[in-house]
Amino acid sequence: MTVKMEASEGGMPHNTLMIYGIVVAVVGTYLTYLNVVTGIAVFSFFGGIAAIAALWWGSDTIKHLCSYGLGTGVPSAGMVAFGSGAIAMIAGTKFGLASPIVTLILAAILGAVIGYIANSIINMNIPVMVTSLMEMAVVGAMTMLGFAAMCTGTFMFSGLVVGGMTLSMEPSAGAAGGAQTFLVTVLPEFAGSLIGGAALAVIFFLGAMALQHPFNACLGPNESQDRTLMLAIEVGFLSMFVVAVMSYAFLDLVSATVGVAISLIGWFYSYKQYIALSKRDAYDWLDAKPIREVGGDQ
Amino acid sequence: MEEIVLGIGITALAGALATVAGAAEDTESDIGSQGDPNSQVQLAPQMGYIHRIFNKAISGEPPAYGAWCVIGAGVAWALMQINYNPALAIILGAVIAVFVQGIYCTSGYLGRTASLAKFQQPVYIDIIKSLTPVTMAHSFVAIFCTVAMCYLMATALHHPFALPLLGLVWGIALGAAGSATGNPFYGKERQYQNQKFGAGVPISASGNIVRYAEAGQRSSLDNGWFTTKFAGPASGICFGLIVFLELWRTVLFEKMMSGWGAIIMGIVLILIFTFIDRWIEVWGRKTYGPYGTTEEASS
Repeated sequence: MTVKMEASEGGMPHNTLMIYGIVVAVVGTYLTYLNVVTGIAVFSFFGGIAAIAALWWGSDTIKHLCSYGLGTGVPSAGMVAFGSGAIAMIAGTKFGLASPIVTLILAAILGAVIGYIANSIINMNIPVMVTSLMEMAVVGAMTMLGFAAMCTGTFMFSGLVVGGMTLSMEPSAGAAGGAQTFLVTVLPEFAGSLIGGAALAVIFFLGAMALQHPFNACLGPNESQDRTLMLAIEVGFLSMFVVAVMSYAFLDLVSATVGVAISLIGWFYSYKQYIALSKRDAYDWLDAKPIREVGGDQ
Repeated sequence: MEEIVLGIGITALAGALATVAGAAEDTESDIGSQGDPNSQVQLAPQMGYIHRIFNKAISGEPPAYGAWCVIGAGVAWALMQINYNPALAIILGAVIAVFVQGIYCTSGYLGRTASLAKFQQPVYIDIIKSLTPVTMAHSFVAIFCTVAMCYLMATALHHPFALPLLGLVWGIALGAAGSATGNPFYGKERQYQNQKFGAGVPISASGNIVRYAEAGQRSSLDNGWFTTKFAGPASGICFGLIVFLELWRTVLFEKMMSGWGAIIMGIVLILIFTFIDRWIEVWGRKTYGPYGTTEEASS
């Protein structure tokens, strides 16, 4: 398992990519706090931008990890990132305004533990395993936090588990003078929330697919970094579009529509770019042409 | 009593929906060439066999269908939160899920094929134009039926899970059923019609998939023509039986022994199916297989 192969050389160095990814992810998540400052929810889409930055960096991490002979393990790498990230993200949101930073630190610790177990106890012996799984857990956690903030407009725990309020009316016992009075209590309703309604499962899978897809789709001898990263942005915007549609359940009409518009514009642009890059890298670009035989026994 | 009668009715309806979903899912994944048979499609250009088969490099079918169904169920759930009609919400959810699925299909084909430039495999853009709508249509049927089935479970049978989580669980089950039951027809049979029947795939034949059709060159639609007849119904029966028996045991036996009745019934079902599987395997080997007679037949 230690034979390194077929990762394209050149392009942007991985560490530069990581720094851009972390900074944009954290800043983007914090920008959704403008919702609270200004009182209108139109800034929610910054959460989606944060998630795309994390996915963009994460797809390059997967490339580094999976170039150690893990061809069929690429989709599983996406799942393990979000499995460890989900724990860190849900625990991290309990910390109020510090949530994005705490989520990042918790995810890094969790990833390090998982990486250590995989590398030293299960003996997978991949040199970049511990750092890669740390990065992946952070990517998973920051993507989920970003999309959750985009969907609900907040990155605080209470906003993610309480869907709304219902009024509970009970006849008050022992009312004086026989008058009919009621004891009104406000009960939080959990089933309509992001976590209570399991909408977080959608974000989990949207992110996990978007994280593993770029390198899984582009791997091969002629893989190139700019095409893989453009695909990461494309699937990121595609996931952001679905999250934006779901945010109609939590945000007002204008804010959710802003999210849908931005994600569709971004997706269209990046998809066009990706097709152009594929055309550049492909051996040939044929429309309704027959097979050109190069070998084999036909 | 009325509750049980209603439960049995819902069980039958969910089973029927699951059967349609299973058949559509497997046909979709065979036309799109997803899952384990696709490894041969990717290997073929590297062995010098340029082909015109779709190459849908997304992931295994269980995670992929888990994703599509959870998107469908999640969007449907979100729209129902703002009081959309459930039927409309499920349709819109399936439409958005299919949109995502189609984009993933095209980017998977473009990415993998462009990365194989070294082996002179060109991108045939007409394959994307003609096959992506076909896979999207089948995928829509599969996702819509699965989400509708999950909605029935959540509302009529009062399942404790929320709709998106049910979509996730049953989507993964749908992909697993199609992958396990239907893919052998495509990967072991249709791709290797030029090999001896039942011989398996020897290493020397790796990548040498059938690339020419009855007339002209084989595209993945020709594979769909084959797998719709054999693999699709088999997957449909598989997934339909899973859903039907799962709900049947829950509806009928849940009240017995404070919930343990359904669990015991599940174990009994597993034992019955293990016995049937073993019996079919032994019968099949005795009736058709060259196994056990001569050693040199398997060279």
